[in-house]
Amino acid sequence: MADDEDPKEYRWETGYEKTWEAIKEDDDGFLEASVAEIIQRAKRKRQQNKQVNSKLGMMRHLYVILDCSDAMSAQDLKPTRLLCTLKILENFIEEFFDQNPISQMGIIIMHNKRAEKICDLGGNFRKYIKTVNGLTKTALIGEPSLQNGLELALKSLKLLPSHASREILVIMGSLTTCDPSDINKTISSLKHEGVRCSVVGLAAEVHVCRQLANETGGVYNVILDDSHFKDLLYQQVDPPPAAVCLESSLIKMGFPHQMIVEGTEEPLTMCMCHVDSSEEGSKLTTGGYYCPQCYSKYCELPVECRSCGLTLVSAPHLARSYHHLFPAASYREMEFDNQSLNCFACQKVFLETDKQIYSCSNCEQYFCLDCDIFVHDILHTCPGCATNPTTFQMFQS
Amino acid sequence: MNFELSSDRVTETSPLDETSLLVIILDTNPGQRILRENPHILTQCTDSVIAFANAHLMQKAQNKLAIMACHSKISEFVYPGPGKPLDIRQVDGQYEVFTLVEKTVKQNLMKVLTSETSTVYTESLLAGAIAMALCYIARILRTKTPGLKINSRILTVTGSSDSASQYMNYMNVFFTAQKQSVVIDVCALDQHLSLLQQGCDITSGLYLRIPQIQGLLQYLLWVFLPEPPVRQKLVLPPPVKVDYRAACFCHRELIDVGYVCSVCLSIFCKFSPICTTCQ
Ligand SMILES: [Zn+2]
Ligand SMILES: [Zn+2]
Ligand SMILES: [Zn+2]
Ligand SMILES: [Zn+2]
Ligand SMILES: [Zn+2]
Repeated sequence: MADDEDPKEYRWETGYEKTWEAIKEDDDGFLEASVAEIIQRAKRKRQQNKQVNSKLGMMRHLYVILDCSDAMSAQDLKPTRLLCTLKILENFIEEFFDQNPISQMGIIIMHNKRAEKICDLGGNFRKYIKTVNGLTKTALIGEPSLQNGLELALKSLKLLPSHASREILVIMGSLTTCDPSDINKTISSLKHEGVRCSVVGLAAEVHVCRQLANETGGVYNVILDDSHFKDLLYQQVDPPPAAVCLESSLIKMGFPHQMIVEGTEEPLTMCMCHVDSSEEGSKLTTGGYYCPQCYSKYCELPVECRSCGLTLVSAPHLARSYHHLFPAASYREMEFDNQSLNCFACQKVFLETDKQIYSCSNCEQYFCLDCDIFVHDILHTCPGCATNPTTFQMFQS
Repeated sequence: MNFELSSDRVTETSPLDETSLLVIILDTNPGQRILRENPHILTQCTDSVIAFANAHLMQKAQNKLAIMACHSKISEFVYPGPGKPLDIRQVDGQYEVFTLVEKTVKQNLMKVLTSETSTVYTESLLAGAIAMALCYIARILRTKTPGLKINSRILTVTGSSDSASQYMNYMNVFFTAQKQSVVIDVCALDQHLSLLQQGCDITSGLYLRIPQIQGLLQYLLWVFLPEPPVRQKLVLPPPVKVDYRAACFCHRELIDVGYVCSVCLSIFCKFSPICTTCQ
């Protein structure tokens, strides 16, 4: 865990400097505090400042339009603009689907004045990561056409139901765009369809990009360096304010389960996603996910059932984000005064050097600093609460 | 059930700089049906688990072990356990560590069993025990020698049923285990455990519901002793179909069609005009 703490990244995490100051002011704590501890404390502080965000806005539909023109071969980002972008994009995709569990994403690339859709809207993040990885060998040729890219995305976003939020994220290396007609027309139809367009520029400010973002309610930024790039891209992980303002409504969904008939072989069947395609994969298979309403079979989730229209999702997929709704109870920091021999969770024996320990406000067990961070950063379940019959269903309210 | 084993299994070893950390969670809750009907089964389960744990230690000198008891009101580490290790006099020179495991587990288990007062909660809080195990594993990984690779896994041996009331805690521990590359294995002694089975599936662990408790040690040795990296080479029970139904927030019941809030993703079994979680 410790090795992903690239100190460089902390320049962008406000908590770091603040904690540093706090520790400097604290006259006896400063000398003994190790760097690792400073970082841990920064983390703790950030966690505590994190606002409970229960608005996940699940119906996001985002097209990423990626510049694959000649401009992306520049080496101002290491090793090249393209390779650096793909690496950051890969992490972004994973984070996006983690935080927006049943949203959909599509990918379009622009090169040689043309736009090419390399991934349709969908929700399988592994597929997108694979596609992004495959782009490392793309030929970077000619100029991009922003208009063609936007039009291609719009064509597919137009078809979505009205409660879906529609977004485009452009990553633009080139300072020019070569468009077949007036791009202002495209911008006004995007605005008309309520498509929010954000642009991350890799080089310098481009007027048309600023205009696109301003007109459609998106954001436009030009990166300073790779860390800033990552930071800007990650801002797109949180649902945009528009999606947050959407009225909540309850949508009927199915949680497919595999059919289990004890003692019988499952029959070979065709999945609905490949029924009318001739590509590879359109074979008879066993297994898959069955719509609980009409028993159509799909090989991938989430998906909208083609025969009965029910949205099919996997329950654990949704559950990944429930910690936003039900965070673990917070721990109080206190002076160590032999309240307990060891940390309740990891069994670490408390020593003289443990100046502070942490106590859960619900279950009142004592924890070490590392466990406090681990529980609130990753686990999201308090081990003390979860092993106690009177507190295991309590969350921070 | 038949398990074929390739004959070279015993000689199958991982590289020297790789070790295996096994945390066993033994459900000792007296509320389990099998223990209510026959309390002596606990002795048999404990003996099987200890023998299995020793077999794990015997596989490689550097292998690490922890054993937890999940009781009705508390979950505790019974090995290594609190305080200093027991003072075990060398019995026959070679196997003192095994005697240590047995003595420590039995002594600490006795404390856990006698700590309970009359009221018994029949639901074993296994998700909580797994959460503790994950914190323990995280500490071992934090403090390990750099360069050493530790494959960690958690084996849960239980006769309880799993209930959707722990749904949130289960999902949190499963995703954490997945993120930390901790494998969750489950050996079900009585009922089928659909939530724990999801955990095995999410973390690439093995789920096995054993047909009879008499064969527990054999099943543990055949199925769960091989480390996950070695398992691909063995013929193990075929993967079972996993039931991925959701638990509704209103009654914590498993449902296959429900209503999901478009903003906070809460799941309800009945339609209502507003979401009670986020409104
Ligand atoms: Zn259907
Ligand atoms: Zn701890
Ligand atoms: Zn607690
Ligand atoms: Zn309900
Ligand atoms: Zn809601």
